[in-house]
Amino acid sequence: MKTDELLINMGPVHPSTHGVLRFKLTMDGEIIRKCEIVMGYLHRGTEKLGEMKTYMQFVPYTDRLDYISAFPNNYAYTKAVEELAGIEVPLRAEYIRVITLELNRIVNHLVMLGSLLLDLGASTMIMYGFRERENALQLFEMLCGARMTFNYIRPGGVREDMPEGFIPKLNEFINDMEKRIDDYEQLISGNEIFMGRMKGIGVMSTQDAINYGMTGPSLRGHGVNYDIRKLEPYSVYPDLDFKVCVRNEGDSFARYMVRIDEMRESLHILRQAVDQMPQAKPVSLAKYGIAPMTGASTAVSTYFPRIFTPPPGEVYSRIEAPKGELGFYIVSDGTIKPYRIKIRSPSFCNLTAIPKMVEGLMIPDLIAAFGTIDVVLGDVDR
Amino acid sequence: MVVWDYPVEGKNQEPGIWSKMGAEQMNPAEELKQLFPDSVISAGLQIKKPLAIIKKEDLLKVAGKVKEMGFDHLSVITGIDYVDRFEVVYNFFSYTKKQNLVLKIILDHNNPEVSSLSSIWKGADWLERETYDLVGIKFSGHPNLKRILLPDGWIGHPLRKDYDMNIEQFVTVGEDGEDIVSTDGTNLLRR
Repeated sequence: MKTDELLINMGPVHPSTHGVLRFKLTMDGEIIRKCEIVMGYLHRGTEKLGEMKTYMQFVPYTDRLDYISAFPNNYAYTKAVEELAGIEVPLRAEYIRVITLELNRIVNHLVMLGSLLLDLGASTMIMYGFRERENALQLFEMLCGARMTFNYIRPGGVREDMPEGFIPKLNEFINDMEKRIDDYEQLISGNEIFMGRMKGIGVMSTQDAINYGMTGPSLRGHGVNYDIRKLEPYSVYPDLDFKVCVRNEGDSFARYMVRIDEMRESLHILRQAVDQMPQAKPVSLAKYGIAPMTGASTAVSTYFPRIFTPPPGEVYSRIEAPKGELGFYIVSDGTIKPYRIKIRSPSFCNLTAIPKMVEGLMIPDLIAAFGTIDVVLGDVDR
Repeated sequence: MVVWDYPVEGKNQEPGIWSKMGAEQMNPAEELKQLFPDSVISAGLQIKKPLAIIKKEDLLKVAGKVKEMGFDHLSVITGIDYVDRFEVVYNFFSYTKKQNLVLKIILDHNNPEVSSLSSIWKGADWLERETYDLVGIKFSGHPNLKRILLPDGWIGHPLRKDYDMNIEQFVTVGEDGEDIVSTDGTNLLRR
């Protein structure tokens, strides 16, 4: 029977859109016939701001893109600048970077799991997720004083060395987390209601998922064995042993399971990084007079001049951020400011697939599918 | 034929991922130049990544071949305003061949218009809309070319170098949900 179509507006302020995002849904009864996404409510013009700042000044702005996981943003930008100018980084700094990146991956997936379950109506997981996240945030606070916007990884290395007592606390976190992930699996993965909400929902073929530009854990849930850490190894990832977590089903449940597996792999990487990390060499202060100069070489950063002018050129550099492929396209004209910065954010490109994914589903399924895509609106709107 | 740098194989990496790649694998940019000698202006490198500069009229033809060559992932589309010209850069990656490819189009500054690739890569849809929104490059053949991040009716394209930063623009939501932009703030007044 043909019924009248109804236009339903969902958002921009809606608890399950994780920020300010608006869906315009054309409904046929309970079925979504067409989904249009309206965004830009959080657009801050980060790319334009980048053209007005020097290379070092832009680092804090990258924190504000994906504020759930800011270390990968710092690192993606830093890596692009380093590739552009050919800067070598001390090995210890690279290990510290990997530790922060993987810790941040765990934090990101905890928030994702928590908010996904909250959207589905189970409020237990967000409490557990945020409890463990708090421990990780305390580690970040110890490392750089900030809990969410770090400005810690910067061209040339990291801001300062690890404080004393960081490694024991980190080991404590790793050992604790190992058990917690098993708990989560017991709590969520086998749950009948959860499986009913997730299995066979938001299905997309592998071809479509690639074609729509999905990346990261969302794509690995569609059976694509890819990981930029393996394909275009950066930092010290080639020296670390880890496997790429892939699921073949291509539905919401598969995308969720990839996250759980990835948290375990991250813990595995963290353990190795802690073992392999070279010791800090004491830096002679006598060389600089009383205190080290700003921008001077230390055990964890190479000399990065205040007036930094990379050679003219352009580079596209990408990393495997927790949400997917995070890339920075930087054009340098040889002056102290970048000529153009383009941010390829994983959330924006993964969101492209949602309208196709939810066609023919119901609104509660839209929330389930949208939750497993793991979008942060600061990253979508930039 | 140009042999370019591969990422170094890590000591702990599974063999197999890289062993499939012969060291003398064809540079895709050179391959394109051989296939379309008239359409490819030049082939080179963009920091380790093969780069081909394409004539704008032949973009769709070349892009179709690029897709056939296995470049299934369109990473990013970047529009750059060089004051005397516009450049549009497409970064591709192939999940099957594990290769990168960069295509570049040079456009006239007065009439920046190029064919849309959204029929070949669905992901290009939003990336092109964003490039249109912020840089003002038109993509002919795009199914829904309108602003994506900024509200409809916004004056100017912010990432152009001649964008006037001194114009204040005020946005409100109209009764039907459409965006209303004004430069003097009259739409903010309550009636």
